[in-house]
Amino acid sequence: MSDLPPLSGSLPPTNEPLRIAVRRMRWFRAAFDAYVTAIGDKIGCTYKIDDAKLAGIFVRWLRAVERQKPANRQDRHDYFEFAAGLMLRELTADMPLSALMPPAKSGAESAAAFWPEGYACTMFCLTVHSAAMQQEFKDKPQVSVAIDDLRHWWSFKENAQMDASFSVGFLLTVLGHQPNWMMPDVFRVRLSNELQQS
Amino acid sequence: MKNPLPNPLPDAMPLRDALRGLRHAVRRGGETLLDVMPLDQLPPPASQLAGAMIREMGELAKGMGEVASGFARLALGGNDTPHGAPLQLTARIGAEDTFAQGIYAALRLVLQRLDAPSVYVSETAARMAFVSLLPDQRQGQNADIAAALSLSLAEVKVMRGTSAQDAAHVPGRAIEHAAIFAVMLWLQSNRSEAEDEAALASATDLALVVATEADAAFSARDSAKLAALYAEFAAHV
Repeated sequence: MSDLPPLSGSLPPTNEPLRIAVRRMRWFRAAFDAYVTAIGDKIGCTYKIDDAKLAGIFVRWLRAVERQKPANRQDRHDYFEFAAGLMLRELTADMPLSALMPPAKSGAESAAAFWPEGYACTMFCLTVHSAAMQQEFKDKPQVSVAIDDLRHWWSFKENAQMDASFSVGFLLTVLGHQPNWMMPDVFRVRLSNELQQS
Repeated sequence: MKNPLPNPLPDAMPLRDALRGLRHAVRRGGETLLDVMPLDQLPPPASQLAGAMIREMGELAKGMGEVASGFARLALGGNDTPHGAPLQLTARIGAEDTFAQGIYAALRLVLQRLDAPSVYVSETAARMAFVSLLPDQRQGQNADIAAALSLSLAEVKVMRGTSAQDAAHVPGRAIEHAAIFAVMLWLQSNRSEAEDEAALASATDLALVVATEADAAFSARDSAKLAALYAEFAAHV
């Protein structure tokens, strides 16, 4: 496990807790714009953002998060991770980014070069998640070595294109968890409760 | 003998609306001329003459806009910039004018973002929408009041002269409903004055995403459904 690339400083400032700010359209969009610019500078790539798609993604993500929100406050920590996965699911289901050039500062075998759009979206979700976790739980999430393994990215890209829910499993894997690959976009606490009841 | 009482100020709002209506007609006339006159295919001097005429119409429209804005500032202290008035409908004197001015300015900004800046907005109709609310519609949660006001704004046709081209910028072609939804959502949002513009842009984008749902609620005059949409999104602008 290792630290995330240090790009959290690219997120715009807010007077509100991040968990609130990220659920405001204006902050979410500003954060996405700023982060994509920062990561583009880092890997040597310019991206184009489709604002209409991003707005649709935001609304679907809000509704998905609300739909599966656990009643028990003890599940908040786990649900923060899950919510980041849901965000990645919505971003990969209707990709709002297009790379206007191959990344000039990334190795040919890197995840950034392999899938620049998916890489930027994944790192955005991880960065917002990490910043929110530090703020809420004083917990700095670490990422698994899987993040540097191109085979995971191959699998992620191929499977996410067939079934966007795979993205949730990928993000949880990167965060060091073993996701439920049958239903990765169903909150695991709820799923386990349902399995116990059946 | 001199009248001891000063003459009351005339109601400037309908006059402003009339001037804006003229501006709208002149602008639209210019656009129509541009659509139907193949300027680039006309031989000189006909092309220069037609071009000069259309430029003249543009200047005339601009002048009318300045006169209308001047009336807003001079006669009623109106302002073309919204300040994020809270959604509190009190019985205070002039509340309907403040509301109408705010709605006018916000709708203009929303229509610009929707790439339909030439749609006509009636400040007088906005005032009428406010005044025609029943007492029980002024009570309750923000979302309920916003829903009642939204339906009222649609009923009085606060926007007019929408072209098919304007309507095509919104899913389902319901640009009036989407614009009203955006403004009323923005009014309910928690924002600082510095965030007014960004919040209005976000409210417009949210309105576009839920345009089909909002349009269905408007068309069915379903106040509860509209209120539910406002309640769902007001905290997320």
